[in-house]
Amino acid sequence: MDLMLLTGLLASGVRFAMPLLFAALGETMGQKSGVLNVGLEGIMLVGAFLAVAFSVATGSPWGGLLAATLGGAAMGLLHGFFAVRLKVDQIVSGLALILLGLGLSGFGYRLVFAGHQSIRVPGFERLDLGPLSDLPVLGPLLFSHHLLAYVGIFMAVGLWWILTRTGLGLTIRAVGENPKAADSVGIDVDKVRMRCSAFGGAMAGIGGAYLSTAQLAGFVEDMVAGRGFIAIACVVFARWNPLGVLAVALIFGIADAGQIRLQPFFPQIPYQFFIILPYVLALVALAGSAKSASLPAALAQPYRKA
Amino acid sequence: MRSKLYMLVLDRDSRVALMALIACALLLLGLIALAGESPLRVLAILIGDGFLTRAGLADALVRSIPLTLTGLGVALSFRAGVFNIGVDGQLLIGAALAMACAPLLGPLPSVLALPLLLLVGTLGGAIWGGIAGILKARFGANEIIATIMLNYIAIQMVSWLIRGPLQEPMGIFPRSEKLAASLRLPVLFDGTRLSAGLIVAALACVAVWFLVARSRYGYALTVTGKNADAARYGGIQPAVIAFSVLCLSGALAGLAGIVEVSGLHGRLQEGFAGGIGITAIAVALLARLSPLWVPVAAFGFAGLYVGSDAIARLTAVPFPLVHVIEGTIVLAFLVLQIMPKAKDL
Repeated sequence: MDLMLLTGLLASGVRFAMPLLFAALGETMGQKSGVLNVGLEGIMLVGAFLAVAFSVATGSPWGGLLAATLGGAAMGLLHGFFAVRLKVDQIVSGLALILLGLGLSGFGYRLVFAGHQSIRVPGFERLDLGPLSDLPVLGPLLFSHHLLAYVGIFMAVGLWWILTRTGLGLTIRAVGENPKAADSVGIDVDKVRMRCSAFGGAMAGIGGAYLSTAQLAGFVEDMVAGRGFIAIACVVFARWNPLGVLAVALIFGIADAGQIRLQPFFPQIPYQFFIILPYVLALVALAGSAKSASLPAALAQPYRKA
Repeated sequence: MRSKLYMLVLDRDSRVALMALIACALLLLGLIALAGESPLRVLAILIGDGFLTRAGLADALVRSIPLTLTGLGVALSFRAGVFNIGVDGQLLIGAALAMACAPLLGPLPSVLALPLLLLVGTLGGAIWGGIAGILKARFGANEIIATIMLNYIAIQMVSWLIRGPLQEPMGIFPRSEKLAASLRLPVLFDGTRLSAGLIVAALACVAVWFLVARSRYGYALTVTGKNADAARYGGIQPAVIAFSVLCLSGALAGLAGIVEVSGLHGRLQEGFAGGIGITAIAVALLARLSPLWVPVAAFGFAGLYVGSDAIARLTAVPFPLVHVIEGTIVLAFLVLQIMPKAKDL
């Protein structure tokens, strides 16, 4: 494989990784605080739809991003309301989010865009850093992504720093590891969890927005295609470490970009066998990493004051 | 007056939960209003076309067959605290394996061939569920993600099969050859599409009810789901339960798949059973995981789908509203779960 091809693969791998990265970073914070949200798929769908609808309405992808973030946060709060406040089964509440997301995004799409197939969606422009973007190899690899991609990478580092180096991070980890102890030193367990859940929802909304306005240009029903679940697999495989999440999301992004680019080289192999690669990779990753000591001890367990 | 008293008896959590449900109902009404329709008219069409016309009723019964079979599978796995979200994939692989074996069964007499066909479909689903089971039991992989990933893999497998080895001899459309008449489930009533799959589904209900309510295994399932530590203490191995229940749950989904093909479509084609898996979850939850309530809930959701089709056809309200309704029903299930606590006060 020559250098051009490899550069192209890695560069589009970064692009493909971003929806996973945002959603997985949000889920990491949620799970660190003890809230499991299996409904990322539904939130990403709503985010993807809202981003397209509001990009068109406001004429700017940033308007779409804002709407997707708020919509995602609202769904995160809804999950928090049921999982944290009402203390019901977090998995079932997450499943409800999947159904709601599927329904709301499909409903909205058919209502707003039915009959207008050819609407131009104002998507995110790639960053142009002049001479830096023109550099061979490094240019396409490092200096010509969407601004949002750099935000994602910055957030991975930032969240790692927050989780491991700050008092806020300690609070979040305490709530997820030992809520009783956290409560005894005066931390409002439910409040921390609600906020983490809302943050996780907002991030999944951004992931959906990236998918529909940066990676692709437009909304198609059910377009998230399992990425919400792959994002959860990323969190597990990265052992709840935001920097690890960045690395794992990049691996998945490159695998996804790679399977598309490999298809023409092997016309004798049915293309379906390439499409399944990221899903198979997720299964392998899950099987290889599930029994981990990094699992937050109080994950998916509601906290009731004694 | 009575309802007012009841509100007073409720604790704060339950009142908040009820409020959330009312908010969901308002959201539904708002969505319908957003589409510029009157909620009353939509409701009238939903109930009228979904349940009250002869054609609607027959259609709802047809659709309730796969929902009952898959709903039973989901209920079994959820009872054990194992979240099988991969019903769609298990259904597809069951149907595909049975269709692959159909040419071998064709020459046999129908009394033998048809049950064997259903058995192969069941086996296919069990294998696909079993893969997730091994990943969970042996490697501790989360079954929700594993079964979903297996869904997407199964969709691609079927997509390949109907364009490759299983494609009809003409080779034009991406679909399999039609099943031989001896391998088709007979239609129960002339003029409808209702097949003997209804009897298969009814038998499955009885079998699963017996398993859950009368067998040692059913007890082990329930104990594991309620408290895995207690189960382990009582000599039940949660890993064995997880593996076996995913096989069983997959088996029922696989049976649903081949019943859909043999009783309704006659051949394997793309998207022939899309979205059944997610509805099966709502069915199982609404039935409160009880096998005898599953067919009732399945019929309810089947009517909801038939009615929603009619709504999308007759009004400006788009079809995906049905998923919002399903999501609301799941949330309602959660709210009802915390209600009994209020009565204890």
